[in-house]
Amino acid sequence: MSDNFTHNEKLLKIFAGIRCLNKDQLPRYLEGRLTDIEKHLVEQHLVDCDLCYEALQSLQKEGQMEQYQTLSAGIQQYIRDSIKPVSQLQKMERYIRKSKKRESLLIYFWVVAFIAGGGAGLYLMQEYNRNKPVMARPAALPIVPAAAMSTTPPPDSARHQEASLADKSEIPVAAAPRKDTVKAAPPAPQKPAADSIVVTRAAPTPPAPKTEDSVKKPATAANTPKEEKEKDTPATTVAKTQAPPPATPPPAKPATSTAMDTDEFLYKAAMVYQQQGDLNEAISRYKRLTSNTGRVGELARYQLGICYREKKQNGRARRMFKEVVRMDGSMKQAAQQALDNL
Amino acid sequence: MYQQLRNLSDKELISRARKLKDREAEGVLLERYSHLLVAVCLPSFRNNPGTNPQTLFPSLLQRLSNSLKTQTIQKANEWIHQTIKSYFANPEKQVPYYPSRDARDQLHTENRVEKAATNTIEKQALIAQVQKALSGLSTEDRFLVEQFYLENQTFTGLAAQKGYTTEKVRQLLKKAKSRLAMQLTNQTYVR
Ligand SMILES: [Zn+2]
Repeated sequence: MSDNFTHNEKLLKIFAGIRCLNKDQLPRYLEGRLTDIEKHLVEQHLVDCDLCYEALQSLQKEGQMEQYQTLSAGIQQYIRDSIKPVSQLQKMERYIRKSKKRESLLIYFWVVAFIAGGGAGLYLMQEYNRNKPVMARPAALPIVPAAAMSTTPPPDSARHQEASLADKSEIPVAAAPRKDTVKAAPPAPQKPAADSIVVTRAAPTPPAPKTEDSVKKPATAANTPKEEKEKDTPATTVAKTQAPPPATPPPAKPATSTAMDTDEFLYKAAMVYQQQGDLNEAISRYKRLTSNTGRVGELARYQLGICYREKKQNGRARRMFKEVVRMDGSMKQAAQQALDNL
Repeated sequence: MYQQLRNLSDKELISRARKLKDREAEGVLLERYSHLLVAVCLPSFRNNPGTNPQTLFPSLLQRLSNSLKTQTIQKANEWIHQTIKSYFANPEKQVPYYPSRDARDQLHTENRVEKAATNTIEKQALIAQVQKALSGLSTEDRFLVEQFYLENQTFTGLAAQKGYTTEKVRQLLKKAKSRLAMQLTNQTYVR
């Protein structure tokens, strides 16, 4: 491929469709915390997008960042609450009640087990801990909305009631204990801390919070299992005590939330390298995206196939295209075609 | 389900929300842009203390939700931006959104570029067309476009070089780009 060609190919970058900035990119751009390539992609997008450009200008003004974080967490929660169909909520409620019962039975069982035999109990506890994630997670997940629901009106009336009833501080509270509200999570610690988000974030992640919980009673016998137990079910703790502590989950959550957007961004970045003819860099970047099981992972594999084909590594290219075909997604046909032509 | 919807493009979400009346798809779409909506609205709380987020956001979202079902949306960012603007201009009246000519031309060209990514012949043709369109720009516009897209210069870098504000650099690039998109769109129809 001649230099001239790759240079020309760069011209198509002008019309690369690039997504709007995500929730973290706005502050990161303003604070100069983007990598060069990411920054360039952002600016390419800003050329077109009045929405993002205006958002940045507005955030540039002093003291807006905190309000931005709080309100965007609130609005996300609001959207989720208002789209949830009623039937699903009811199903959820029933499930919560059931799993709560199961939970208390479990605890009762362990109280008995501990009284019965010290050493044997400890052994069983280890067993229990090993099995815990499987048993606890389904229980922990749906329990959380219970707490959210207690502060939020049902979805039907949500639009109207929330508008008039909910005060500003209520939104983050509702947002806090939700397990699935990934993005809404960061401001959660704000309520108890009543401080700026920056302060809460900067604080070292605390160990599992020690809140009063029925789990404590049996746990006096063995300390380590207790801590692990609480760590495993922070959501349950929150739901029971109704006081969301600045627990471990919030700092962990943003990672999963942005993973999607970040992957897409990384994909675009890899594409830039590919378009510029730097196949090796592009390949190494696409490879990192193959762990993504969604559309980005599929596209990355497809592009890997293209890169390998360009490098005349037909065996590898074939393998990639085959994987794409196996994923049975939107690129299946294109991959099959590429395979046929190889 | 929610997680799967998050992987969909705006276009797919819009079509699900419209055709299948999929509320979750609508929610994912609105959520995707909610932080930008918040950021753009922030000055209104400052400039107008009577504005309350608890009323503003629900009514804005309602308006977006209404128009999502009735209007043709090509670029979600433009749709949201225009809806916010028209809301502040007249909070009582819902003005329908129409995609701008600019947005249509750009989208058209973006789609062509995306398709050409796997088709060498089409790609070559497209590159030739962009080159031709580029040569029709003024010297300054062409300089900016080339420095920005080909040499990876930043807004601030170009601003310093030209003695402009970054705002002006962005404006010039935006105009130059829409001129290019318009020419490319016209070229395809003429062909
Ligand atoms: Zn944008």
